[in-house]
Amino acid sequence: MKPVEPTVVLRVPAEAEYVDLARLTLYGVASKMGFSYEDIEDMKVAVSEACNNAVLHAYGAAPGVMEIGFGVCPDGLRITVKDDGVSFDSAAENGVSSAPLAGKSIDEIEAGGLGLYLMQALMDEVEVMTRPGAGTEVVLTKRLAKSEEMA
Amino acid sequence: MNPPDKLKLRTETQEGRCTVYISGELDLEAASQLRAVMEPLVELSDRILTLNLKELTYIDSTGIGILISVLKARHARSAPFTVEMVPPHIKKLFDMTGITPFLSQAGPSAAQAR
Repeated sequence: MKPVEPTVVLRVPAEAEYVDLARLTLYGVASKMGFSYEDIEDMKVAVSEACNNAVLHAYGAAPGVMEIGFGVCPDGLRITVKDDGVSFDSAAENGVSSAPLAGKSIDEIEAGGLGLYLMQALMDEVEVMTRPGAGTEVVLTKRLAKSEEMA
Repeated sequence: MNPPDKLKLRTETQEGRCTVYISGELDLEAASQLRAVMEPLVELSDRILTLNLKELTYIDSTGIGILISVLKARHARSAPFTVEMVPPHIKKLFDMTGITPFLSQAGPSAAQAR
């Protein structure tokens, strides 16, 4: 999906209480595009995970801003979550390709990496671009299934 | 902003059982609220601790992380922990992450035996 200027942009404080606004905007944009209920529920989690990362890892104690862009493309939705902060959750950066908790004992299971795993499992494509001192951009892409397209 | 509670928690304690009914959205903002309620309850080794998720409309890795903490704390006390009435989309997330076997009625030892 080619990068486009986002059709809709939400710019909010990078704080937990604003992540639900990203879900609400996602719901609005994705519904207009004709995505299924299932796909919308999946994307709500993925966009929240990307926002959670900005809230938890980007800014430390000082308040910052996160910008969530929704790019309406002919073949699907391209969501970007940007912050100008200092880091991404580097513990999670080496993604996981299969169910993170499978085959482990209770003593071995841990929550780290679950957010990134869910983004990858729920979206068609995930890109994380993080530049030291210049913030992080997460790009989440979901293709619109043929049967959902409106002629 | 002071919105109405996104997450509502109701605890029912009976002899032998303590059930926490969760309704609404369990996201990063709501996480501390759930942790605060669960903290004293995980100590109750003498009864089954159950989370009823029937009215839960949203969960992500934050909430699943809390479930992992509760699982570990209960396991350390050899005390039972279960979830019940998991909505379909939430069950899908549990299956994807691999936490489902740990949440089964039979308990963690059955999961480890698999």
